[in-house]
Amino acid sequence: MREQISRLMDGDLEGAEADAALRNLKDGDGLDHWVCYHVIGDALRRCSAPIPGFAERFAARLHVEPTVLAPKAAHHGSRLPLTWAIAATVAAVFVVGSVAVSMLDPQPTVIAKAREANVVRAAQSKLQPVSPDYLIAHQEYSPTTQIQGVGPYLRAVSAGGVDGRP
Amino acid sequence: MAAPHCRFRADLALLRSVLVAAAAVVAVPAALAEDAAAWLSRTATAAQKQNYVGTIVYQHGGRFETSRLVHLNDRGNEVEKLVNLEGPAREVIRMNGEVRCYYPDAKIIRIEPRTFRNAFPSLSAQQQAALTDFYSFRMAERERVAGIETQAWVFEPKDGLRYGHKFWADAESGLLVKARIVDERNEVIEQFAFTEILIGVKIDREQVNPTWAVTPPDWQVRQLGKGDAESKETGWTVTRVPPGFIKIVDGYRRLRGARDVAHLVYSDGLVAVSVFIEPIGAASHPIGISRQGGINVVARQQDDNLITVLGEVPVATVRQIAHSVARR
Repeated sequence: MREQISRLMDGDLEGAEADAALRNLKDGDGLDHWVCYHVIGDALRRCSAPIPGFAERFAARLHVEPTVLAPKAAHHGSRLPLTWAIAATVAAVFVVGSVAVSMLDPQPTVIAKAREANVVRAAQSKLQPVSPDYLIAHQEYSPTTQIQGVGPYLRAVSAGGVDGRP
Repeated sequence: MAAPHCRFRADLALLRSVLVAAAAVVAVPAALAEDAAAWLSRTATAAQKQNYVGTIVYQHGGRFETSRLVHLNDRGNEVEKLVNLEGPAREVIRMNGEVRCYYPDAKIIRIEPRTFRNAFPSLSAQQQAALTDFYSFRMAERERVAGIETQAWVFEPKDGLRYGHKFWADAESGLLVKARIVDERNEVIEQFAFTEILIGVKIDREQVNPTWAVTPPDWQVRQLGKGDAESKETGWTVTRVPPGFIKIVDGYRRLRGARDVAHLVYSDGLVAVSVFIEPIGAASHPIGISRQGGINVVARQQDDNLITVLGEVPVATVRQIAHSVARR
């Protein structure tokens, strides 16, 4: 039945097979599997996480992280077939689990090295915000400036983003 | 047993919703194109004409910054002053189109002279059409903001190339008291909101004067604005302009000490994307993606040029433009 649900989500089922799979959703754990697979699929495809307040908490955490100003790798939005994706997730869970087990009794040297790596990373990824010159030059032409007045210039003088230097 | 009956009811409901949707589609476009443009024009006029003073909170990336904003229209002369109340005491003075940004902590003044446009540009028919082709414009709730009764308006994007915008305007004067940018999941990207405001009050000239009437001698003055050949076409173009965006500026300008920075601006009538192209100098340039509130920035090197693209649009839109800059 699980395989049928998985194939249904991949769009592999048609006609009577699809009808049968849909009927199965109402039986037993069918709907639970359906929801679970969708959550796994969403997570793998980096779709939204349906957790209330997640974005706010993530934004707050991210804000205190150092910003890495580097070109982002091209993202190919290909969808893995769900069956493979679930297999991959199970494998990933296994790996994470193994690591977690091995981390149960971590050596002090491991912790020290991890801390060291964090310090190095923070130093390397120095915050390099855009020069205010560009923001000021741009602002004049944005129609939003015409309706919001001088307010949007806050972006150019914000202490949070720009340091006032070239 | 009840299935056929249910099916019929469902069909009726479906038919009704289709009819309602169809009616909305038929009735709306022509009126809305004008409404969106007319609303923008009315709001811009209120921003110019009204005298007001208040406290504004700028919210971005989990941060909140509070500033004081004063606006004076003295017989057609417009002066505006913005002072942040937290961190280094930075200041913005906009006087009849000229913008001066003071950074006392860095001892820098940046001056953007009164240049190409000052009045709200009347939108071309093409831009008016773009507004409603690419955004659903609608009236939202009435709500109290900063102690006054406001009417909210929404520009909801119809594609993933734009952010959503919500504006709260004073029901009486039409002045904006709150503006919010949201992403495709309705998460707030950036927000400007007055927490208290007095509209239509008497403002004295002293209230909008810069704190530094004379530039301190050890400060650096950075002139932005027009280059030598500002009106000349640059010969640069964007080959994959996102739908709805129209080129509104093509010229050279002064920037960061250089006089020959090509500046192109594309606008969809509500927001704009700037493209800066300059020869790569000896100075180091940050390359990559960054962000300031609702503005996404992509900087990249292309041959011997530094290309910097930024605007109040999602990073994918900025990237698309940044990766399709070419010589005509």
